[in-house]
Amino acid sequence: MGQKGLSGMDAPVQTDPEEQFGVAVVRRLGAGFWIAASWIVVMVAAAVLAPWLPIADPNETGVGGRMDGPGWSNWFGTDSNGRDMFSRTIWGARVSLIVGFFSILLGICVGGTLGMIAGYFRGIVDRVISFSVFVLLAFPALVLALLVIGLAGQTLPIVTMTLGILAIAPIARLSRATTLAYSEREFVAAARVLGATDRRIMIRELLPNVLIPMGALTLLGMAITIVVEGGLAFLGLSVEEGFSWGKMIVLGSSPRTLREGPWVAMFPIGAMFMTVLALNFAGDRLREYFDVRELGIGVG
Amino acid sequence: MTVPLLSVADLRVGFATQRGLLRAVDGVSFDLAEGQTLGIVGESGSGKSVTAKTLMNLLPSYAQVEGSVTFDARDVMAMAAQGERHFWGVEMTMVFQDPMTSLNPVKKVGEQVAESLRVHLKRSRKEAREESVDLLQQVGIPEPKKRLGQYPHELSGGLRQRVVIAMSLACSPRLLIADEPTTALDVTVQKHILDLLDELREERGMAMILITHDLGVVKGRADQIMVMYAGRTMEQADTATLFSEMRHPYTEALLETIPRIDMASHTRLVPIPGNPPDAVDLGPGCPFAQRCRYCSAACLPDQPDLKQYDHGRVCACHTPVGTEAGVAAHVANRESGVTPAGLDMGTFTPVEEKA
Amino acid sequence: MIVLARRLVQLVAVVLAATFLTFTAMNTLGDPLFNVVGFVAAVDCDAVEAGEIEDISGQGGTSLGDCAVVAEAREEFHLNEPLPIRYGRWVGDLIRGDFGTSFKNRMPVSTVLADRLPKSLLLMGMAEVFAVALSVPWALAAAYRANRAMDRASTIGAFGMLALPNFALGVILFYFFVVKWQIFPSRFEDDNLAVRLKSLVLPALTLGMPLAATYFRLLRTDLITTLQEDFVVMAKAKGLSNRWIMFRHALRPSMFSLVTVFGLNTAALIGGALIVEQIFSIPGLGRALVEASIRDDYPVVLGATVVIATGFVAINFAVDLVYSYLDPRVRRES
Repeated sequence: MGQKGLSGMDAPVQTDPEEQFGVAVVRRLGAGFWIAASWIVVMVAAAVLAPWLPIADPNETGVGGRMDGPGWSNWFGTDSNGRDMFSRTIWGARVSLIVGFFSILLGICVGGTLGMIAGYFRGIVDRVISFSVFVLLAFPALVLALLVIGLAGQTLPIVTMTLGILAIAPIARLSRATTLAYSEREFVAAARVLGATDRRIMIRELLPNVLIPMGALTLLGMAITIVVEGGLAFLGLSVEEGFSWGKMIVLGSSPRTLREGPWVAMFPIGAMFMTVLALNFAGDRLREYFDVRELGIGVG
Repeated sequence: MTVPLLSVADLRVGFATQRGLLRAVDGVSFDLAEGQTLGIVGESGSGKSVTAKTLMNLLPSYAQVEGSVTFDARDVMAMAAQGERHFWGVEMTMVFQDPMTSLNPVKKVGEQVAESLRVHLKRSRKEAREESVDLLQQVGIPEPKKRLGQYPHELSGGLRQRVVIAMSLACSPRLLIADEPTTALDVTVQKHILDLLDELREERGMAMILITHDLGVVKGRADQIMVMYAGRTMEQADTATLFSEMRHPYTEALLETIPRIDMASHTRLVPIPGNPPDAVDLGPGCPFAQRCRYCSAACLPDQPDLKQYDHGRVCACHTPVGTEAGVAAHVANRESGVTPAGLDMGTFTPVEEKA
Repeated sequence: MIVLARRLVQLVAVVLAATFLTFTAMNTLGDPLFNVVGFVAAVDCDAVEAGEIEDISGQGGTSLGDCAVVAEAREEFHLNEPLPIRYGRWVGDLIRGDFGTSFKNRMPVSTVLADRLPKSLLLMGMAEVFAVALSVPWALAAAYRANRAMDRASTIGAFGMLALPNFALGVILFYFFVVKWQIFPSRFEDDNLAVRLKSLVLPALTLGMPLAATYFRLLRTDLITTLQEDFVVMAKAKGLSNRWIMFRHALRPSMFSLVTVFGLNTAALIGGALIVEQIFSIPGLGRALVEASIRDDYPVVLGATVVIATGFVAINFAVDLVYSYLDPRVRRES
């Protein structure tokens, strides 16, 4: 009868059998999550084990001819110096993943703490931190990165740290909002009535609850930082020694290289795309699984 | 008798769930004559709202609907299938439970009232506006002109429900379905809204289906009352007959849950023990047997059919209240202290024996 | 009025904080003088005057004349004064409408901004128009038939789109449309408006497609939520057509997240799309910013920062205004 209806309307609350009769919905991560997770594990393993894998030296020239297309001997082809692109793609994962992981770790440690402090103590502390966060957000992220990396040097620790600093503001905002929501709950009030110190409440009561959304966001954040690192490469600010996927894409994207051997750019693009896709997907599923809501954006 | 305005025959509505088919409405039939009011009474989950939604073509597409619905000799199901544009909202309209949520918060009241007039009756903006003022006046909203320019959040709950009623009256419907129209409102406002609906029905000669969980609401207002439970009709009669003597134990139980003015001030209200049954997994017997103090051995394996009684009453029960079978079952249950369904009779406060 | 005043205070505070941060970082981490006079900036003039250093290489940098150049430059750009005073001087100039002078070519910063900003704004405008024009009808269609084939395919497509970084998309588009098929020019051309628009098509697509995917996801989700509201059921009961309900009832209350994120993205794009401008060689504000930061040309960076921060605050304000248009309930509160 309702076949002419808007199917977006197809779950009016009153007649939805699950809503009405409490039929339990089984929460599962699903096959997609495990495929994505497998991809991430394979990438991480390849990156970690790169020196011991039976692949060509990524910096050795003349492994194949100049600009050989993908084939049996060089799966991903070679670049203009005859270096093996398959090997380089795996080595590129090392830098990209290191930057991605450690910068988000830094962001969570600093931003998470700041957000919790702001959300828990409120008042003047909150206003100072929130304003700083607002300024950081008003400041174009890449400009900040340009400044710090351009002036402090293009080394792996500096690049990682810079991206970590960029992650602080949005993470602090999320952590503050989560803390605000939780510190309203009864269990926090109960702890306070029982005479727990602020420190104890924050570590024992709030931290575990704030960490869950943070954990799901680590994967999503990693995806973002890997991409931002690639962006830095386009501004000539990737690591000077070694190379990330981003730097490889830059090297492969000059009109001449694209004309002669598009694979030089396309394989790192593919690797980055698949990894970011897997991280996004796994992160999304985890967030749904733990029922973490996307927190509203707005300056408080 | 003349041809009824609305005729529903053996209506069945099911939803496929992970555990099996949920029978939300299971073989409901009724007729409603022009200008008459039918009260449909039952607890939540009894299928009364789904029945209304079926009539209004508001069910989700995955609902499985069987049976026939005829409105003034027109096949309602067929109209739904063909995508008839000017039937719902014109001939048949509905007022919902919660006026807080059934008005669009970002549209002005005037726009929302005029909408039906513009879409269905092709009124010009100006005409629609004038008619809207009229409608608001008819439903007793003070300063109707000013209200048209206001947003729903600027009105009180009672006023909003009046706006919703005005909206549903815009195209002069012949049947108005009111689904728990006062449940979400303040007690003080409830009676005003019910009286208003009654007056409007009277003036306009339209038919009305009044859906509620409260027998008290339909008592003085409905011509016919249908009591539903677990998607089925339990008892149906004209109002006077039903209230003079109820046959179905569920009807009796429902009545005991509401306070009455003529009760002594310390009379205890008797809640119905237990919960409505799981509509996916209704066993063989009477769906109410588990909660019924008149339950007999026959009620558990065998679902009673609707039977005709005096004054056109129909009732689906093996042991109707006030009949020999009913009295016998009740006495037997009280003596043993437990019904055949295993319900402790102690959960009921003593009720007056009916001879 | 009070709202406006509060916004102004916020604007001033944000601009001051952001520029002070930039000013300090650029002056302590880098050496602005280097960019004014070149390598001679590194000359140790005290040692030269004392005659301790001689011009061994014959390339200059050790003569008294070089020292005079250095001293002159220090004087001209007030580099001798302490940082806070120089910052104060800069702020004072700014209030008078003077953005200072770029170290490169001694061009007034306002000239640089006036040259670069319109190109970035044009690119932003095209990208946003493209993103909105694509995502809104797309989301309406998907929500209209939620969970059907089209909706599922779009959802997956949008998810995939978001995993493709915009520089990767840029390279892919560049490869096909510029290198392979040679449909579009490889760099920005500025002859007339038509040429300008044409050379911005690919960059706008590069920026716009991920935005469209973002907007699609937000709007689709919100539309589906709205379609389950009671007032939509009520509208259906009034016999209104699905199209009418979609456009006149569901769309407006579903636009909040879209507007918020639209605002954030627009604010981010005011400063130019650094990477996309780089890939497609567009002389926009973003590239000016990149070049200036690399060169330690802080007057330009500060000028751009003022523009960006102002844009950020202004757009946040605009978003609030749009909120109150979308939802009368917000209007009452503010």
